[in-house]
Amino acid sequence: EFNERNIRVSNGINADHPVGNGIKAMQACLDDKSGGKLKLTAFWGGALGGDLQATQALRSGVQEAVVTSSSPLVGIVPALGVFDLPFLFANADEAYKVLDGDFGDQMNKKLEEAGLVNLAYWENGFRNLSNSVHPVNKWEDFAGMKVRVMQNNIFLDTFQNLGANATPMAFGEVFSALETKAIDAQENPYVTIDTSKFYEVQKYVTETNHAYTPFLFLFSKPIFDTYSADEQAALRDCAMVGRDEERKVIQDLNKKSLEKIKAAGIEVNTLSPEEQARIREKSMVVYDKHKAEIGADVVDGILAKLAEIRK
Amino acid sequence: MTLVVFIASLLGAMAIGVPVAFALMFCGVTLMWYMGMFNTQIIAQNMIAGADTFTLLAIPFFILAGELMNAGGLSRRIIDFAIACVGHIRGGLGIVAIMAAVIMASISGSAAADTAALAAILIPMMAKAGYNVPRSAGLIAAGGVIAPVIPPSMAFIVFGVSANVSITQLFMAGIVPGLIMGVALIGTWLIVVRKDKVEALPRTPMKERMRVTGRALWALGMPVIILGGIKAGVVTPTEAAVVAAAYALFVGMVIYRELSPKELPHVILQAAKTTSVVMFLVCSALVSAWLITAANIPAEITGYIEPLINRPTLLMLAIMLLVLIVGTALDLTPTILILTPVLMPIIKQAGIDPVYFGVMFIMNTCIGLLTPPVGVVLNVVSGVGRVPLGKVTVGVLPFLAAQVLVLLVLVLFPDLVLVPAHWLR
Amino acid sequence: MQKAIDTFYRFLEMLLIFFLAAMAVMVFVNVVLRYGFNSGLNISDELSRYFFVWLTFIGAVVTFREHSHVGVETLVMLFGRKGRILCMILSNIIIIGVSAIFFWGTWKQAPINASMAAPVTKLPMIWVYGIGFFTGAGIVLIALERLVRLLTGRVTEEEIAAFAGENMSIEHLSERA
Ligand code: NA
Ligand code: NA
Repeated sequence: EFNERNIRVSNGINADHPVGNGIKAMQACLDDKSGGKLKLTAFWGGALGGDLQATQALRSGVQEAVVTSSSPLVGIVPALGVFDLPFLFANADEAYKVLDGDFGDQMNKKLEEAGLVNLAYWENGFRNLSNSVHPVNKWEDFAGMKVRVMQNNIFLDTFQNLGANATPMAFGEVFSALETKAIDAQENPYVTIDTSKFYEVQKYVTETNHAYTPFLFLFSKPIFDTYSADEQAALRDCAMVGRDEERKVIQDLNKKSLEKIKAAGIEVNTLSPEEQARIREKSMVVYDKHKAEIGADVVDGILAKLAEIRK
Repeated sequence: MTLVVFIASLLGAMAIGVPVAFALMFCGVTLMWYMGMFNTQIIAQNMIAGADTFTLLAIPFFILAGELMNAGGLSRRIIDFAIACVGHIRGGLGIVAIMAAVIMASISGSAAADTAALAAILIPMMAKAGYNVPRSAGLIAAGGVIAPVIPPSMAFIVFGVSANVSITQLFMAGIVPGLIMGVALIGTWLIVVRKDKVEALPRTPMKERMRVTGRALWALGMPVIILGGIKAGVVTPTEAAVVAAAYALFVGMVIYRELSPKELPHVILQAAKTTSVVMFLVCSALVSAWLITAANIPAEITGYIEPLINRPTLLMLAIMLLVLIVGTALDLTPTILILTPVLMPIIKQAGIDPVYFGVMFIMNTCIGLLTPPVGVVLNVVSGVGRVPLGKVTVGVLPFLAAQVLVLLVLVLFPDLVLVPAHWLR
Repeated sequence: MQKAIDTFYRFLEMLLIFFLAAMAVMVFVNVVLRYGFNSGLNISDELSRYFFVWLTFIGAVVTFREHSHVGVETLVMLFGRKGRILCMILSNIIIIGVSAIFFWGTWKQAPINASMAAPVTKLPMIWVYGIGFFTGAGIVLIALERLVRLLTGRVTEEEIAAFAGENMSIEHLSERA
C-alpha cells in the first residue's frame, strides 16, 4: 500500500551532476512501483543547507533525505572515516564490491544507530589533484604546496604527511583562491574539476586516486519508520536503480571531463606503479594515527576484505 | 498562496514594531505551520548553523577594522589629505567629501560610521565657508553610502554567503561602480553649487601638502593591504579582514597614537555588539530562507513573471524598482537577507550574471539608506551635523537622483560593471 | 537585585570582548603561520567559528536588552502613546513566542547535537548548538519582564520612545548600516 509522499532530497552539488540522472531514474522506478504516489523533490546547490546541516535535519525528522559524501559525517559516525583513508581503494570495482557487500551493510547498521537509513551507496568518484606549480610525479613533489582540502582531520593529515601545506577552505572560495594563487592546488573528482572550471586556473592534473569517498543516499530514520513496508521496500529498490544509473553516468562523465581537461591544455599525468606504492607506503602512518578513532575492527575489517578481493 | 502567507506574516510583524530578526523567525514559524510541518527543530537548527560559517567571520573583523579606523584617527588623516589635495578648487569641500568618502569606503564597510566621521568634520567647515548646509549634509550622506559598494563590504559578504557567490569576485566587481557613484556625485555637486557664493579654501602650500600626505600614507596603506592582498591572492576575504583590523590597530596605537590601550576594550565591545545585531539577523533570515526554499516560493514567483524571464533588461528594471521600493522602508542588511533567497533562483533562471546582479542589488539597497521614511544615513547626518532631518531629506534629492540615474545606466549597459569586473577578477 | 543583574551583563560584555579578541588573534596567527611559515593550526578555523557562534548568540541577548535589534518603525512612529503601547504588547508576545520555540527546538535537538563531534576539536556539538538555551531563555525573560510592566502600566517613556525609533544614538545607527 502506498500513500502520497513528498520526499525532499537535499544535495550539495548542482542539478547537472550525475546524481541528477540518478534521481530521475529513481523517480521513474518509484512512479512505476507506487503509481506516482512517492515523489522526490530535489534541492540543489545546498539550497536547504550544507550536507552536515541537512543530515542533522534527517536525524531529527525535519527532512526526508540527503545525498551526501561520507566525509562530513565522521563527527556523527566516526567509522565513516574509513573512507577518507588515503589510497584505500585501487579502482571502482573494488569500491563497489566492498560497499555493496557485507562491509557496506555493516556501515549501514552504524548509520541506523545514528538515526540514518542509507538506501544505497552512490558514486562521487576518485579524487585527483590539480595544481598550478609543477607536475606531481612522486610524493616529494607535494613539498610546500598549498593544497585546499576539506575540513577533515584525515585529509589534513594525509596532505600534511606528504609535506604539503594543507588549507581548509569553503568550496565557494576555491576558484578565486586558485586563480589568485592564494592556494596552489585542490583535490576533487574530475567531474568537479570540470564543472567548477578549476582547469581554467590550473596547469597540472595528477591522477592520484587518493580517495574514493562514496555518496550516501540517506533517509531520515524517524520518517522512514512511519512509512509502510511497501513504501520502504520501493525506496530501497529504487535507490539501487538510481545508483546503477548514477554510477554509469558518472563513469562516462569522468572520461569526458578528463578529455575536456586535457583539451584545455592541462598537463595530465598518472603516478607510476612504483611511485603509487611509495606514496601508499608513506601514507600508512595516517592509517595508524586514525585507527583507534575509526575503530580498529572497521579498519582491519576493510583491509581484510580488500585483501580477499585482491587475491 | 504560500507567497501571501510569507509576505503577510513578515510585513505584519514588522509593521507592529517587532524587530526584523524576530519577525523573520515569526514568518518562519507561520510558514511551517501553514505547510503542516511545524517542528521547533527547524528554527533551532537553522539559526545556529547560520553562524557556523567561516566566511562570515569576515564580518566582525571588518567591523572591528572600521571601528579601529575611526578611533585611531585614520579617518581624520584621510580627510586632511583630501583637503590638501582638492580643498582649494571651487566647490572644493564637496569634492573633498566625496574623495574622502571613497577612500574611507575602501577601508570600512559601514555607511553609517563613515558618514558620521565625514559629517562631524566637514559639515562645520562647509557651513563656515558659506555652503548651503542641508545640501552639504545631503552630499555627505550620498557619499557615505558608497561604503558598502566599494570593498570591503559587509553587504557583499552577507549577499555572497546567502546567494553562494564568490565574495572575492563581488569585491572586485564593486570597485568601478563605486567609483562611478563618486564621480556622478562630484558632477552633480559641481552643477548645483555653480551659482553659490562660497569661499574656496586657500591652496595648501606644497610643503604642508607633502606633510599631510606623509601622515595619511599609513591610512592610505589600508586599502592597498585589503584589496591588494585579496587581488594578489595573498589572503582570502576573511583573512584580509583580520589583517586590516591588525593594521588599523597598529597604526592607531603606534603610529598616530590616538588609540590608548584603555579604550581598546570599548572599541572591541562596540564591534562585538554590532556583529551580534547583524549576525542574529543573518541567522534568523536563514530560518525563513530555508522555509522559502522548502515551500518552493521562488518557483511560484517565477510562474507569475514568466514573460520577463527571457527579457533580462526588463527583468532587471522590474527587480531594481522593487528593491528601490522595499529600500524606502527597510534597512540594508534586512533587505539583502529577505530578498536574496527569493530573487536568486529567478536571476539564475534568467541567465543574469550573479556577480553583476549582486553589485546592482547592493548599490540599490545602499541608495535605500537615503530614502525616507527609513534612511539610516540621513538620520546619521542629521544627528551628527545637527541639521533637521526634513532639510537633509530635501538636500539629498539631487544626489539621490544622480545615484538612481547611475543605477539605471548600469542596468541598460551591464558591461560597465562586467568588463572592469573581468579585468580585476 | 538590579546590581546583580548589571554585574551579570558586565560579565557577558567581558565574554563578548574575549570572544572577538580571541577570534581575531587565532585567525591572524593562522594567517601569519600559513603565509610566513608554511604551516597552520588546524584548530583555529574551527574554534574561531564556535567563538563566533557564542559571540553572536550571547550578544543577541545583550543587544536585545539595549533595544538595539533593527526594526521598522515607520508605522509605529505614527501612533500615539496608546497605540504604541498596544504594539509593544503584541510585539513582546511574538518575541516571547518565537524565542520559546527557539529554546524548545534546542531542547529537542540536544541529543542529536550531543552525539556529534566537531571534526577537528572533537568538541560535542551540543556545546555550540546548546547556546540556543541561553539565547532563547534570556530573551524570553527580558521580554516577559517588559510585558508584565506594559500590562501593569509601569513602562517608561524612554522605552516607548526607543520602541518608536526615536533618539537613536550614532552607535545604534551604525549597527544598522
Ligand atoms: Na567599503
Ligand atoms: Na530607505
